[in-house]
Amino acid sequence: MRRAFRSRAVGAILAVALVVTACGSGDGAVDGEPIKVGSFAFNESVIVAEIYAQGLETNGYEVERSLNLGNREVVKPALESGEIDVVPEYIGTLAGFLGAEQSADPAATWEAAKTAFEEVGVTLLQYSPAQDKNAYVVTAETAAEYGLSTVSDLQPVAGELVFGGPPECPERDLCLLGLQEVYGLEFAEFVSLDAAGPITIAALEGGEIDVALLFTTQGIIAANGWVSLEDDLGLNPAENLVPAIRSEVVDAYGDDLVTLLDSYSEALTTEDLTELNRRADLDQEDPALLAEEWLTDNGFIE
Amino acid sequence: MAQPVGAPRDMSVWESIESFLSEPETWSGPGSIWVRLGEHLWVSIVAVVVAALLVMPVAVWFGHTRRGSEVATAVVNIGRALPSFGILAISFLILVRMGAGIREPWAVLVALIALAAPPMFTNTVAGIQTVEPATVESARGMGLTEREVLTGVELPLAVPVIMEGVRIALVQVIATATLGALVAWGGLGRFIVDGFAQQDQGQLVAGAVLVGLLAVVAELGFSKLQRSATPRGLRTAR
Amino acid sequence: MSLLAQTSPLIDWAWISRNMGQIVDRTWEHVTLTAVSVSIGLLLSLVLGLVALRWRWTYGPITWVTGLMYTIPSLALFALLVPIVGLNATNAVIALTSYTLLIIVRNLVAGIDGVPEAVIEAADGMGYTRRARFWRMEVPLALPVIVAGLRIATVTTVGLVTVTAVLGLGGYGFFILRGLNTFFWTQILVGVALSVILATILDIAFVLLERWLSPWARRAT
Repeated sequence: MRRAFRSRAVGAILAVALVVTACGSGDGAVDGEPIKVGSFAFNESVIVAEIYAQGLETNGYEVERSLNLGNREVVKPALESGEIDVVPEYIGTLAGFLGAEQSADPAATWEAAKTAFEEVGVTLLQYSPAQDKNAYVVTAETAAEYGLSTVSDLQPVAGELVFGGPPECPERDLCLLGLQEVYGLEFAEFVSLDAAGPITIAALEGGEIDVALLFTTQGIIAANGWVSLEDDLGLNPAENLVPAIRSEVVDAYGDDLVTLLDSYSEALTTEDLTELNRRADLDQEDPALLAEEWLTDNGFIE
Repeated sequence: MAQPVGAPRDMSVWESIESFLSEPETWSGPGSIWVRLGEHLWVSIVAVVVAALLVMPVAVWFGHTRRGSEVATAVVNIGRALPSFGILAISFLILVRMGAGIREPWAVLVALIALAAPPMFTNTVAGIQTVEPATVESARGMGLTEREVLTGVELPLAVPVIMEGVRIALVQVIATATLGALVAWGGLGRFIVDGFAQQDQGQLVAGAVLVGLLAVVAELGFSKLQRSATPRGLRTAR
Repeated sequence: MSLLAQTSPLIDWAWISRNMGQIVDRTWEHVTLTAVSVSIGLLLSLVLGLVALRWRWTYGPITWVTGLMYTIPSLALFALLVPIVGLNATNAVIALTSYTLLIIVRNLVAGIDGVPEAVIEAADGMGYTRRARFWRMEVPLALPVIVAGLRIATVTTVGLVTVTAVLGLGGYGFFILRGLNTFFWTQILVGVALSVILATILDIAFVLLERWLSPWARRAT
């Protein structure tokens, strides 16, 4: 009797397991299915993704969130495979990632990235005037000690300095790789931290790293009196925010969806991002609440 | 068209491993295998030793006075229910707030001590308590003082179980130290976390193999130590 | 203003109520990963256990291999599986399952071995075939020990599921990882607390199951 119960229980569990794993594989949103909004693993990305998500929800779309997924190495495959449908991207880094031409000209960079990305079934909508580039930041003390105001100023002293950034930094041409190739910088040590998050910030504050990879829209830089070194050799291309969305989803939902997302892109400014980031990083406010506030202030939500 | 940067490289796993092993930074400098291995070992051994110093005396007392077996069971149950990743995260946040550096090992060390303590505590209590009461009685009957009973009879007989507890703690600690890379520390987990982030399968696999080997060597080595530390009379052929 | 000097409140209840949906989703994820892994682990362990009982010489190698898999740190095992299966739920389940094998197989064999000789002889005396004796006498008597193994395996798995956060999953581990990324106490504490609660609930459930399965033990005490 007990044996029968056990084998029935096992059978039931197996059935559930099969069903669950079958349901796990996403097909991508089609008509009627929820739109899956994803983001990278730093505050700004989560805030903008929340803007998309909440904006869509207000307009009657069903939304699923997969926020804080990771870096582009994780997010891009997820987007291509349909695990997520839309993610806020940055035209410059994206173009570089796709092997397309990146430059300081937003329109050209956007065009190049768009063409390349469409080859894998993802399209880019209108890009926003808001830009967020990589920033190479030192404390005011470090800047004073070594006389630093541009990235080139690091050339004679890089060998004495410790650079801190996200784990993928050594492989990125807008991070260590690019700093080596374009500026000829060889740092004493690279420390693997997080994507311009609290760990990197705390490390810079605590003097455990000398140069930090942060983002230009992080208001905490100004708030702490830190120095964002000028990219005098123009390593960073234009980095306008843009919704990257699967072509399938655009086809399924049509112009209304596009118009909606375009309206958010249009309204976002670099100053907005800076303020939102400051409140998220420094005041530790909830990205979801910040997104809601922004949408309300800009008239997208009542 | 330029080779996409940061995209998964067009390399097989073996090529990636080869590439990782042939990089000079892998073998020398602050991020080398030796440094990471050293960090990992250091923190694991210190954690086990400190935890032992903290809990063994109490555990021995409990065991000898034949009390607190419920406490011991509860301790091991709680220890098992606590997610080591969570303990590490909490420890990290506390220590950073207290002023410990991001790159320093204190957060990891504290978490590891907390995780090493339960198995050693419980096994020490259990080990002493399961010494045959008759044996203890006859020792007392022979005129041994309480202290002599403890050190001469109970502890030696409890050694296998106690050492089992230490072994469990050591392996658990080595495993959790791997997670230290998630809180900006080093250790062998650094290769795994960075490998994940950089899509560098060579680094990923190399790190995994290294820490796997370390854990296995520790386990086997300690088993051997256990056997040689077991009083000859207790060694049963398995 | 220093980030280090910031103190976010320990528990932000407003955050919890705002994110109830997430919490429920992650609960489902955590429970599913645990249930699937332990179930598959149980099945595999049954097979391995039966093999070990039938051909005793295999017990050593089986323990050795499952022991090896158990010793390898979870993060390392996930990493090793990446070139083979990628970064997904399959990876997580394979690794989580392999951690359960040693415990359940060992308890299965120990449980059967622990059946008193007298019972075996009585069964033989009553004319049971070897097969009938095994399934109708030995297994039921060994069930408490087997279930104890299941209990330990399940509780251990609940803890390990949190590490799958690095694979994009994590169950409650998602909150721990996210809390780390933002130095947000509430998320970390929610992740840890829920994980402990889940483990404890399952632990108690299994203890009750153990007691229910061995009424003779209860009567004896």
